[in-house]
Amino acid sequence: MDMEEFTNRIFAIKTTSKQERTVANNIKKAIETNATDVQVVAIIVPDELKGYVLVETPESQARIEQLVEKVAHARTVVRGETTLGEVAHFLVPKPVVSGISEGTIVELIAGPFKGEKAVVKRIDTGKEEITVELYESVLPIPITVRGDNVRVVDRGEAS
Amino acid sequence: MVNVAAAKKKLVQVCRECHRVVEGESCAVCGSSNLSTDWTGYLVVIDPKRSEIAKRLNIALPGRYALKVR
Repeated sequence: MDMEEFTNRIFAIKTTSKQERTVANNIKKAIETNATDVQVVAIIVPDELKGYVLVETPESQARIEQLVEKVAHARTVVRGETTLGEVAHFLVPKPVVSGISEGTIVELIAGPFKGEKAVVKRIDTGKEEITVELYESVLPIPITVRGDNVRVVDRGEAS
Repeated sequence: MVNVAAAKKKLVQVCRECHRVVEGESCAVCGSSNLSTDWTGYLVVIDPKRSEIAKRLNIALPGRYALKVR
């Protein structure tokens, strides 16, 4: 193998909604069973990017369009290519509690207190948990919830 | 009980050690049975030798991976 640096491009493929993982599996299957001769070396399915999968490939866009025609739930290739530098942040997901600090007002979006607003009292970055106190409750009861179960309403400081 | 629920929902488990998507009771690659059903982000590596993504994440084996495991 030559020592040339990678010349892979990254394309975004539009998928049927909620079928992103299926599409990734289908592309993998298509390549493994030699149903297509289009080469793809890796597929990223970031949770933040709904309705798309990113494929890393040495092929051209036209070839990826050929692949998409053979894969169920894959719809179209987004025009233009990108580089790893632009999508690298998807590979290292940032902790869900980033952007939340003590005093932040959040809304619980899951669990028994769904829909309630609460003030953040403590943050556990390692476990990605936050301890909150419900806004409208008379007694201050601390509740520990997962960081992805809340939505930030107000960051606290008026800036 | 937990297994029944897992089978019903078809929860996919990933290895906490190597982030590989695991079918069965223990990870086929590192042998660990430290599995998790709470993960996000999905990555399929087909050819790790030619993949820049695999190189960046130090992945040497093809397969399905989770980007983040809790």
